[in-house]
Amino acid sequence: MRRRRIVAVALALLLWRAAVGQNTNYQPDASWRAPVEAASRTNSLANRPQAAAGGRKLFLRDCEECHNQDGSGIVKKHSADLQLLVVQQQSDGTLFWKITNGNPDRGMPSFSKLPELERWQLVLFLRTLKPAAKP
Amino acid sequence: MKEQTVFCILLFFAVLARATAQEDPYFVTYTHHMEEPGNLEIEASSTTDLPRSGQRFYFAPYTEFEYGVTARWTTELYLEGQSTWDDSTIFTGWRIENRFKPLKREHRINPVLYLEYEDINEADRIQKEVEGGAPDVSSSNSLLRQIKDRELESKLILSSDVHDWNLAGNFIVAKNLSRNEGFEFGYALGFSRPLATLASGSNCRFCRENFSAGMEFYGGLGSTLGFGLNDTAHYAAPVMAWMISDNATLRFSPGFGLTHESNPVLLRFGYSYEIQGIGSKLSRLFGGKP
Repeated sequence: MRRRRIVAVALALLLWRAAVGQNTNYQPDASWRAPVEAASRTNSLANRPQAAAGGRKLFLRDCEECHNQDGSGIVKKHSADLQLLVVQQQSDGTLFWKITNGNPDRGMPSFSKLPELERWQLVLFLRTLKPAAKP
Repeated sequence: MKEQTVFCILLFFAVLARATAQEDPYFVTYTHHMEEPGNLEIEASSTTDLPRSGQRFYFAPYTEFEYGVTARWTTELYLEGQSTWDDSTIFTGWRIENRFKPLKREHRINPVLYLEYEDINEADRIQKEVEGGAPDVSSSNSLLRQIKDRELESKLILSSDVHDWNLAGNFIVAKNLSRNEGFEFGYALGFSRPLATLASGSNCRFCRENFSAGMEFYGGLGSTLGFGLNDTAHYAAPVMAWMISDNATLRFSPGFGLTHESNPVLLRFGYSYEIQGIGSKLSRLFGGKP
């Protein structure tokens, strides 16, 4: 009886993991592009790497639900794996623009309600996510 | 048995509870900030007046369920009540509202279209928006509850985020379907700002970043039967919000009446609790696939 329970729990965990697992197959939306001017903006907190700690707090508050605690994305939600090179290669300005505007077609809400510096803090934190091998 | 029930309720919220982004501090003014898709915000609020001499004190609580259907569509249900000193406590009705954001991206000015249907009675006093004068506080609840107000209401919401300030203006047109009062007009204007714009790394609750403050102005503009500021209520109301946890916000606003038709002071309190991804979490809770 006890063994059955353990197996059931393990199976449930496996299913849960599969459901919320890393979204390495994430395909970026080709039409979701920051204007050149926005993409070329530099992070106003670039000289304050310690501000990434606040960015982490904001990430866990506002982004974890869809992007996972480690930013790896969630398959079921079709959310971006933020560790992928295809994301990490984007400029700070592009990431800031994407956080600000969101992408309603893919379910990504706008976070313009956050103060500008907090959005830059989020960008700082995104840079600390370990890039995955897959491009 | 009772303990088990309490435990189940606590467990339910422990499973559901997750974080939320900062809430706007306004009670009346709407902005272009929509509810995140899949999130449910439950809010318990109230409107209380400080009456003029000879008028009775009332307390009008309401519960609001706000759900993000998509990133550009938010829907809300309100359940409203009212309690008047030396009279009675009654349910005053409900309303359902929808907000649509027509533009995909953020712009200097962001329009949102708002459509609401309300089925309330004349005893309703939450004053979620003001179109004409202040509510009738001299008649008894038993009399007022018999007068139905079925109303269609639309708003054009224009909102802008400029250098961490939010500026918002709402222009209201309402049509009472229960009787002919013409089309009624109203407005709400607001500005607000967080007290700090840089998040600290610690999980502090009293840090300035968790507070936002501002001001809102709202009132009536008459109707097609008599447009203008005559016999209309107007208020100036400082607003303040405090994010007491990652998923809960307290709001407070004292509104000061600017005309004789207004209540002298309206006190508003609100507590909102946000649950992220309610559908998938409920599904997971009952064994379904998320």
